[in-house]
Amino acid sequence: MISRRAALLCLAGLLAFCACKWDLWGIATRKTVEQRVQEDLSGQPPAPGPVQVNPDSFRFAVFGDPQIQHDNVSRLGKFRQEVAARSIDFFCVLGDLTNDATADEVDSIKLDLARVGIPYYATIGNHDMFQADGWERFKENYGPSCYTVVIADRIKLIFLDTADGTIGPTQFDWLESELQDSAHIKIVLTHYPVFDGEKPIMWRLSSPVERAKVQSLLEKYGAYAWCAGHIHGLRHTQVGTVHHLTCGAMAPDKVGLDYGNPGFLLFTFAHDSLSWQFVELH
Amino acid sequence: MRITRLLTVLALVVATGQAAVTSSFLLGYRGEPGVESKMLITALADFIPVRYLKADAGLSFNLFQHNGVGAAGLGIGAVLFRPAGLALRLAAQHQQWNDWRAGENRALATIEAGPVFGIEAGFGLIRRVPVFGDGYWSPFTWKSDAEEWNYVYRLTWEFLRKEKLRLKAGLASYDLLSTHNPEQFPLCLSGSYALKDKLDIIADIGTAIVGYSGGLASFHEVELNAGVKHDF
Repeated sequence: MISRRAALLCLAGLLAFCACKWDLWGIATRKTVEQRVQEDLSGQPPAPGPVQVNPDSFRFAVFGDPQIQHDNVSRLGKFRQEVAARSIDFFCVLGDLTNDATADEVDSIKLDLARVGIPYYATIGNHDMFQADGWERFKENYGPSCYTVVIADRIKLIFLDTADGTIGPTQFDWLESELQDSAHIKIVLTHYPVFDGEKPIMWRLSSPVERAKVQSLLEKYGAYAWCAGHIHGLRHTQVGTVHHLTCGAMAPDKVGLDYGNPGFLLFTFAHDSLSWQFVELH
Repeated sequence: MRITRLLTVLALVVATGQAAVTSSFLLGYRGEPGVESKMLITALADFIPVRYLKADAGLSFNLFQHNGVGAAGLGIGAVLFRPAGLALRLAAQHQQWNDWRAGENRALATIEAGPVFGIEAGFGLIRRVPVFGDGYWSPFTWKSDAEEWNYVYRLTWEFLRKEKLRLKAGLASYDLLSTHNPEQFPLCLSGSYALKDKLDIIADIGTAIVGYSGGLASFHEVELNAGVKHDF
């Protein structure tokens, strides 16, 4: 005999399943990270080029997870004020640009990001893949999900595709070859964090063995930082010489899994050195 | 001197029939796309010195990648309530990846129960201590920049029990030598076939689904082991 509580739970689950905007079949048959990276590395679409900045002094912001929804609400308006106040030259968005990856959401966030008024780079997050054509839409609007950009011949930004919670063989080989560059300060920018404090959570890069390999590569080749979104919060964990930074979110409001206030990570390059700070948006 | 006395006591306990010892020897393979692909040689031993205690130990070597010692584990469990097989278990694990100069020490505390109708369950906490660079190989390093807590679980069901053949399937995020993260959804299937009295052929296969916490699931790894088990 099924209890009343169990029946209510089943009903609630069924309703949630029906109300979900995700294309579950599309998710199941999506292109995997391996397939996406192979497309990225084929050169089509081409990676975005470097922005023009003062090579002796420039600033850039990093954040993730605007997660724009049908109501088109985000914190990018407040961010725009910070851009002007802090003379930020460009910014990077680390995935989850939309909540459900619908066509309306994709159009809305593209418009909002353009309204900030400065150049930007983006990589993909798990939410951007929640429709069958999520990857195609992302590529069409932002280009590849895995690419590098060298800013002012000083800093190499390495964008990784970790939307699936894993890196994949081709991208691992590519990452190692990009990290071997000793001429620039190297920063990895992606959706999933590797290390982010001691608490028991399930939002890090999935495999502990994969995390061990990532950290050993970052240390071996002297990477400066691994910057990630996914966990909505501002966190810093230094492992060896590598800064692991969870860079804050621009999500409209608490979405249930937030680990802190919204905000962004601000990098400043000046006097031949790089520094960073967290900026909270209240 | 103390160790000699301890070994003497253990030998006497075994000789008087109070203890049971089981040992296993396995050859295996572990592969994770883009991460590692290696052969495993594993030795495991269970020891029941007295009725309400169970100790186990294991050592695993890697071949073809991360050559050398791969993992070691040591555990002890105390039975709290015999009819349900309820036990408190403490374990320490060390794992290392020589090619990356990376290692990890882990301490686990779990409550386990079963088998009841073929079902075994376990739940507990793990303290992970990843170690990179010098000293990665040491099982005695318990401080790290990357320490973290996590939870572990196990739920298996022996769904086939014939005279000689047994098959078990389920979820297990930890065993004696390794531990998955909650970000991984681990599946396992294991079996044994009694060759003769006190000698079994054993085998297991395991995999883990990753990315499911973000809504994008994919199979990520595979581990296979096969060997023999002997009861003394």
